[in-house]
Amino acid sequence: MTARIITITSGKGGVGKTTTVANLGVALARAGQRVVVIDSDIGLRNLDILLGLQNRIIYDVVDLVEGRCRPRQALIRDRVAPELYLLPAAQSRDKSAVGPADMVRICDQLRAECDFILIDSPAGIELGFRNAIAPANEFILVTTPEYAALQDVDRVLGILEAEGRDSARLLINRMRPDLARRGQSLSVAQLLDVLNIDLLGIVPESEEVIAANVRGVPVAHEVETLPGRAYANIARRLMGEDVPFIALLEGKPTFWQRIGLRSRAREQNAR
Amino acid sequence: MERAIQIKGTREGLTITLGSGDLADALGDLGRQLRLQGAFFRGGAVALQAVARSLTIEDIVAVRDLLAEYDMTLRSIVANNDATRQAATALGIQVVEVEPPRQAVRPAPVEEREPAPTGDAMRGVLVKRVVRSGQTVRHTGHVVVIGDVNVGAELFAGGDIVVWGRLRGLAHAGCYGDETAVVCALELSPQQLRIAQRVARPSEGATRSPTGPEVARIVDGAIVVEPWDQARRKG
Repeated sequence: MTARIITITSGKGGVGKTTTVANLGVALARAGQRVVVIDSDIGLRNLDILLGLQNRIIYDVVDLVEGRCRPRQALIRDRVAPELYLLPAAQSRDKSAVGPADMVRICDQLRAECDFILIDSPAGIELGFRNAIAPANEFILVTTPEYAALQDVDRVLGILEAEGRDSARLLINRMRPDLARRGQSLSVAQLLDVLNIDLLGIVPESEEVIAANVRGVPVAHEVETLPGRAYANIARRLMGEDVPFIALLEGKPTFWQRIGLRSRAREQNAR
Repeated sequence: MERAIQIKGTREGLTITLGSGDLADALGDLGRQLRLQGAFFRGGAVALQAVARSLTIEDIVAVRDLLAEYDMTLRSIVANNDATRQAATALGIQVVEVEPPRQAVRPAPVEEREPAPTGDAMRGVLVKRVVRSGQTVRHTGHVVVIGDVNVGAELFAGGDIVVWGRLRGLAHAGCYGDETAVVCALELSPQQLRIAQRVARPSEGATRSPTGPEVARIVDGAIVVEPWDQARRKG
């Protein structure tokens, strides 16, 4: 087995990188994949909390880099998902404790034993970001439907493209189709129009995600919810399946809305 | 023995000069000097002088990665051959001509204006990709982009700017004072438009969506935007 190494990044903070990593980790594991998620946000670790594993940390990524433990010892098995493992960040160190070459070496040690390695990148485009992208051969760029996040993703894309690393796909997080339809937030089409990259998936803004994060059990376990379904779809797309986008999220008018729009257009023409 | 590289501090930052010898030797030498003095240079912006040689994209990436290990950024490349210029442009790294015009890019008093560049300097650069936020394309001659220029991207040209795509970033044509320079784009909706010393920006809150290709030029001392069809008829 040789794992695919995917870095989840965004430039801007607070758009949901860590939530994305936790949920895609769960969704891929539920689909039968062996997954390692790595928190590379050294000094500000969060991924352990979203997975509810914060009390089980003994070794972290810096211990592994500095040779105080073996890879297997540093991996924490998830409480719920069968084949999901967390490599936590160190909380008491900073980004300079690890370099890009260290990240490549760690991933080389791990990649023989799993199907996917997902790396949670810190915000920014400095050393922490450099560490996070060094080992990856694929990228998921996370944006929310607003200009600030969009511009930062565009910046990150420029950096990746300049290095010839252009296998990046877009995940639109915290989508509000209702606002987008009214022109009060950016639409899927507007985001793709600027970025010119493939769309991997759309995750709606939802209270279920917030509650799940607080509970420490990612929403991807609740496949009956809309965000749970969205994450399951994204996991299947990552595994190479061709899964259609959920029409509601994409913001395309439904059949009934289309009829409604047509009749309104007719009325206007009549006037 | 001639050193493979030279590091020199200037007001703008560091200048690293590559000799004409083997690049691997130069990189080795640079690595040694950075190990010795890397802490001192940390965070510095570097202008790479590569006049004595030609650099490929891989060469530039190697230099940039080495610098990145010491938290230094490769800001610009001073080059005098096309291969190096194209490689640098492809990587989004600013290219400086060997003898850059002395004048600042910012609007400056007219009397200090450089004579319009002629001959060699008036050639152009063709960029065939999306110019993304944070990327700058700068050339003493014309700048032609096939692709979009996104918000946060910048184009500076001594001559004209042509964007076969959407221009949403900043464009400065005639940046050495040429008031006859124009900016044209299939969709002209820039954050800011500059021609010579004039600056124009879209009025606040206006949601102007151009319906076709447009041209911006200076008419009676002000930047005027016209649909390409009208501009063409005037000649």
